[in-house]
Amino acid sequence: MEEPQYAKGYWNPYVAGVALGLVLLLCFYLTGSGLGASGAVARTAAVAAHVVSPEWVEQNGYFQEFYKQAGRHPFINQVVFMVIGVFLGGLVAVITAKRFIPMVARGPNAGVGFRLSLAFVGGVIGGVGTRFAMGCTSGQALSGGATMALGSWVFMMAVFGAAFVTAYFVRRQWS
Amino acid sequence: MTGPLYMMGAFGYWTNLMLSMAIGFFFGFVLERAGFGDARNLTSIFYFRDMRVLRVMFSALCTAMVGLIVLSFVGLFDYTLFLQYALLKTYLLPQLVGGILFGIGFAVGGYCPGTSAVGVVSGRLDAVVFLVGMITGIWIFAAGFPAWGWFYKSFDLGRVTLWHVFGIPMPVMAALVVVMALGAFWLAGLAERWAPYDK
Repeated sequence: MEEPQYAKGYWNPYVAGVALGLVLLLCFYLTGSGLGASGAVARTAAVAAHVVSPEWVEQNGYFQEFYKQAGRHPFINQVVFMVIGVFLGGLVAVITAKRFIPMVARGPNAGVGFRLSLAFVGGVIGGVGTRFAMGCTSGQALSGGATMALGSWVFMMAVFGAAFVTAYFVRRQWS
Repeated sequence: MTGPLYMMGAFGYWTNLMLSMAIGFFFGFVLERAGFGDARNLTSIFYFRDMRVLRVMFSALCTAMVGLIVLSFVGLFDYTLFLQYALLKTYLLPQLVGGILFGIGFAVGGYCPGTSAVGVVSGRLDAVVFLVGMITGIWIFAAGFPAWGWFYKSFDLGRVTLWHVFGIPMPVMAALVVVMALGAFWLAGLAERWAPYDK
């Protein structure tokens, strides 16, 4: 198959993979934990809900764990700072490669509304998934996987198994 | 100096936060350079069109895995301390169920949390919507916590690794993972030539 325009101009995947692995290795060496992302989304959800209803958040069985440390805001946290770095690093990479394009990534025959609806629904399901799994592709699959944690490998296999099956049913968003 | 440095008390909480932000910077930079700021490049793997996600993911995993073992061997990383206090704990069924939900969300939505951040700064509106969806999903999770809180952090097997499960030495397990990854890279090449959903 001819490589489409959106897949051109990136690093060789093995080069990118080794680079990512070295970033992860450095992270383990310095901080003792791996890379992460979904924890920052969970904390953002907690802080946003806290603006509307502080009582509910502080008494909620899940959200209260972010408000336990008295005096320390939920954003004063390792994974939140890391994700701020991800935004900054991604932005610098996008700008230096002149790849900033405001658009909706979708197939040539897929409607914008259809694609955005699926993006939202996928986000909701994935968001719930990260909480039961206590992590995502970065924290569990990659970081836990590199340290050969059992649960992380179970998570990784479940993710790819479910995604390959599900993808067939939503293939029209890319066609 | 033997790591993990923060766990050894080499620096304080705020230094750790600043270092994490710097690490996040390189993390985001590499994700963009890998092509992970666009949902089409992330989901092509599920249609066997472009297996770059598998290649990046497994070469990164193997690099860090072997790197940690080498650092530990030369005395620069205290793996025993890490296994005791920092290895991610296994919650068997929650992680299986969470993984299935996450996989469905990934295929439907086109992103995962880290890559959606890179998608946002690449100008992808679908990544913004995915991120909003995730926040909504976490609200739903929190709202339903009285119903499924018992399942969260259940089936706790503790800090257990693959080599514990298979009863083999750690370097042997790591070698098996590397062999598996090489096999997956070879299969990925075959799958790209097959690419069923293009037809």
